[in-house]
Amino acid sequence: MTSLGSLALTLAFLTAVGAVCAAVASARLNRPHLLTTAVRLLTGHFACLTVASFALLVLLGRSDFSVAYVASYTEHALPLGYKLSAFWAGQEGSILFWAWVLGLITVIAAWPLRRGKGVEPAAVLGTLAVIMGFFAALMIFAADPFTTLSVTLADGNGLNPMLQHPSMLVHPPLTFIGYAGYTIPFALLIGALVAGRRDQQWIASTRRWLLFSWLLLGAGIVVGGQWAYMELGWGGYWAWDPVENASLLPWLTGTAVLHTVIMQRSRGQFRQWNAWLITWSFVLCIFATYLTRSGVVQSVHAFGQSNVGTFFLSFLLASLAAGAALIFWRRDTLKPTIQTLDLRGKVFLVVVTLLVIMTLATGIGTIFPILSAPFAAEPITVDQPFYNTVVAPLMLVLVGLMAIAPLLKAGPRGWENLLRRIHVPVIAAAVAAVIVVILGWVSLWSIAVAAIAGFAFAALALDLAGRYRTEQTQPTPRPMSQVLVAQRSRYGGMLAHVGVILMAIGIVGSSVFNTSDTVQLRPGETTTVADYTLTYRHLHQGRGPNHTAVQAHMDVARGDQRFTLHPQLRFYDKSDKTHAKIALRTRLDEDLYITLAGWDEGGQVASFRVTVNPLVLWIWIGGIVCALGFVFAWLPWPRTVTVAKAVPAPAATSTPTAPPIAEPSHA
Amino acid sequence: MQHRSIKLVLASAAIFGAMSMLGYVGVQRGWVYLLEVDAFVERTSLHDQRVRIAGLVAEDNLDSRPAHLVARFDLLGDTARLPVEYRGVVPPMFHASVEAVVEGQLDDAGVFQADVLMTKCASKYESDEHAQPAHDWSDLPTEPLP
Repeated sequence: MTSLGSLALTLAFLTAVGAVCAAVASARLNRPHLLTTAVRLLTGHFACLTVASFALLVLLGRSDFSVAYVASYTEHALPLGYKLSAFWAGQEGSILFWAWVLGLITVIAAWPLRRGKGVEPAAVLGTLAVIMGFFAALMIFAADPFTTLSVTLADGNGLNPMLQHPSMLVHPPLTFIGYAGYTIPFALLIGALVAGRRDQQWIASTRRWLLFSWLLLGAGIVVGGQWAYMELGWGGYWAWDPVENASLLPWLTGTAVLHTVIMQRSRGQFRQWNAWLITWSFVLCIFATYLTRSGVVQSVHAFGQSNVGTFFLSFLLASLAAGAALIFWRRDTLKPTIQTLDLRGKVFLVVVTLLVIMTLATGIGTIFPILSAPFAAEPITVDQPFYNTVVAPLMLVLVGLMAIAPLLKAGPRGWENLLRRIHVPVIAAAVAAVIVVILGWVSLWSIAVAAIAGFAFAALALDLAGRYRTEQTQPTPRPMSQVLVAQRSRYGGMLAHVGVILMAIGIVGSSVFNTSDTVQLRPGETTTVADYTLTYRHLHQGRGPNHTAVQAHMDVARGDQRFTLHPQLRFYDKSDKTHAKIALRTRLDEDLYITLAGWDEGGQVASFRVTVNPLVLWIWIGGIVCALGFVFAWLPWPRTVTVAKAVPAPAATSTPTAPPIAEPSHA
Repeated sequence: MQHRSIKLVLASAAIFGAMSMLGYVGVQRGWVYLLEVDAFVERTSLHDQRVRIAGLVAEDNLDSRPAHLVARFDLLGDTARLPVEYRGVVPPMFHASVEAVVEGQLDDAGVFQADVLMTKCASKYESDEHAQPAHDWSDLPTEPLP
């Protein structure tokens, strides 16, 4: 099976090289049929990666401990689901998984191009083939998942206990799919730049891939936060760790470009922004991987230091250089067709500027030890207060701008429209702020977020009411569901904004008003944290499938409510490390979160960290609402009138009237 | 057109100024030196400052008492070692030979008093046959888990 896997990887590399050659030859020799060859080779590449992935899954499932990767990340006693999830638990496997996902979406994106003509589809396919070839080469030369050991081990090392959680079955795949997804917009951009496209059609195909990637990466980040909350036992969900930040960077630029593509498509504006943001989103995905795999900055979670970091850094710089050179070369085609921005355009400009600044600030904070090294006696690292000071206020302004989004109309009378309809939302904002103060949640952050939420919901309600009234004046009024579906892009975006505002409520509630205490208790002793009275009863041990758990019995009272929680410390058979399994009582208003820290004297003394986190559940609810909004908006766009007609490039292309790229059928 | 350019320059300058100020305040609030053990032991000028130090937890003198919210151990560099006393919740993944990061300040007795202790939760997990279990649960009653 290892020979099959290695052979498949070698063939994958060769097919990618073949696809690059076919794409280049198609453009240079003006032979459109070679595009079909390139697409077939890319499909073959994906088939090879599928075989390699299947081989690795079989090896993992069979617990073949003659393979270094299988022995490093699994053990006999590991449940089958976690054995298979070890596919993406380690460096070599995760690179294969990423390559496989990239192969799949490349085939989906490339298939409509097989009958294309000209330089644009050739450039798109060539770019995709180069990227896929890079991953195949990486696995062959630096991160081979099929390396065998000189002797077959009786049992493996087992999977990191913290990865033995259902979220870890979901979080890494979502994140990797999100990363891989940004490859397609980058390739489409390269194609459009090489062909000198001046029309807006290519951006429509790109937008749906951007939505897809944004959704998956965002979901990956949120699920990762939930995993950290449930598994790490420190009571939080986001620590501004370099690895977390790394995944946030492409998501921020991806959020920015989702807004600017709307303006390019509807008014031919923000073209250069789009080109840069798409390039940066792709490059930052590679940067995230580089940061995780190279060990250049200290992180509490990393894949360890290895030479794949050098590969990723070289690839990152080459991609950035290629993108920048093409954007510079085609700067004339990236000029806006309409110079003047209306109010909505101006707000979009502010939003995009804020997101770019947040990306820069987060990026600078993440690599601050590297940046500070030449100027300071020793490298300096920045921590949570830096991000809370720099990024959090910008996020608040951004959420505020989301709140006014329903009141923004395209066109010259934007201010007039806004001022005419702003009264009710302002009143709602004031009422929400007063309610928060009355409830005793007094802080600048809580008042601001409450006011923003009040404003946002009132503005959205006003918008929907206006739509309804307008519809009723029509000769044959449609039901509201039809109206919403007809404008799914707009209302999908609004729903996503609502999700983000709900998340902001959860983040502020849990960050500003959380209560945490560390207590040492003897059996029968009681302590009080916030409104909860906790009584420690006893400890006992029990067996799980591959671990022994020490479990505390904690009786909890809050008003008339009585319940029992069981925080655990787990000791895995293949691990000398302890794993805390938290006890959680989650409600809409707050979470009670208990971690067993340790015990002594046969359980006669036990230590606990008790945290009361208000409104955390709203973060996860907000994430779901946001995702629903994007799924709603992801449905195919209704036809709209494009501002500019397709204008051929002035020169430098062999086929100046390259046809638009067909939209992927599934997207 | 010139009017637009002036507005653009003013807006850029305002954004740059505001962000520089926020960045400066943020760094002032949140910065700390990040060193390896050897570098910290050598640089006596940093011994009266709050710093963050990365190193390997020594096997020979680890005294971790999670129930009492304290851990005493030596943090190893390539050549130097630094005695550390950490007070707080001992991370579950903390044990001998693990890569750890501590934050705090050196006291007069030459012991690094830490209030932050982080262990690397490397996705590449490898068991260490030499390490000893941090807990003994043999004297606890046995009950089935829910």
